[in-house]
Amino acid sequence: MARYVYCFTQAEHPLPLDGLRGVGADETALRAIRHAGLTAVVSDAPEGLRPKRRDLVAHETALETLCAAGAVVPMRFGTVAPDDDAVVAELARGAGRYTELLTRLAGHVERNVKGAHQEDALLADLLAGNPELRARNEALRAEGGGSQPDRVAFGEQVALAVEQRRTRDAAYVVAALRPLVMLDRHAPSVEGCFVNVSFLVPTGAQDDFDAVAARLRTAMEGYAELRVSGPLPPYSFVDAVEEKV
Amino acid sequence: MTIMAQPPTAGGGGGSAAGALYDVIELILDRGLVIDVFVRVSLVGIEVLTIDARVVVASIDTYLRFAEACGRLDLTGGRQPVGLPAIVGQITEDSAERKVRGALTGAGRAIADTIHDIVSPDGRDSA
Repeated sequence: MARYVYCFTQAEHPLPLDGLRGVGADETALRAIRHAGLTAVVSDAPEGLRPKRRDLVAHETALETLCAAGAVVPMRFGTVAPDDDAVVAELARGAGRYTELLTRLAGHVERNVKGAHQEDALLADLLAGNPELRARNEALRAEGGGSQPDRVAFGEQVALAVEQRRTRDAAYVVAALRPLVMLDRHAPSVEGCFVNVSFLVPTGAQDDFDAVAARLRTAMEGYAELRVSGPLPPYSFVDAVEEKV
Repeated sequence: MTIMAQPPTAGGGGGSAAGALYDVIELILDRGLVIDVFVRVSLVGIEVLTIDARVVVASIDTYLRFAEACGRLDLTGGRQPVGLPAIVGQITEDSAERKVRGALTGAGRAIADTIHDIVSPDGRDSA
């Protein structure tokens, strides 16, 4: 029977599996498959699994719970092995690399930071700091909005300034937090955000990380919003292992 | 579920499970280990959340929207630009002074560098 795979851990991981429910409508129990000093956490794979909210929550809850108890290599959502033997074969095949990666990730968690400008505040700030844009804006207003080509040309200038500001502010966020972390990596661009970045943070540095994030949030209040997530399993710091082989 | 690090009053995800899931969904779907010999369920039907921000910004519709939004702004009152660069510069300095990174042992640095090599073979990591 097919197995849904959540993560790999080292054999010494305490595996707090009680109370965790697997993906799928049946919410089957999670269990361990052990081989080569490693453990794969799996559940029976439901037929026709789809990325429903319930399943995403089950996947995320299981991984966060396990990550809080020890190092994990998290799978991407929806990873299914044909049977137990295939899982054992993968643990055997990748034992060296998985053990090495788990050793390196131990004592670290992923934190994710997203930033979104408040558009009116951003535009007002750009105009306030740029006399040329401000003058063009006033000229268009005086003409009751101006012609379409004039508005497009002005808007394009504004868009360029917005893009530069997005890049600058993203660099600010990363630069402020980078000294406290082991690694940082841009996460996929998401709508409305000028920055979406994940950090690999030593567990003991999380308070400092939160303190700096709070200061950034205060500094940007009324201008941009920062959303901080985690501690998360280190999703962003494992996914290129296969490509490396 | 993920616990939001900011107090609920700070806005955004609000600390609810819904908000928290929303803010990590692209990590759940687009990051994490992929193993070639295992299959992945089809993501057909799930809303595409990630975007190419540059494409969104560089369009006539966006230009017109920005022009209109600027025209609507109330800029009376001699508004000053927010002093973000100075404030963030101070935060960055303070952050660096904590020297967590500098205090890492040689072994710790080597680990960081090796993980960096593993996850960023194409050099696309944030610079």
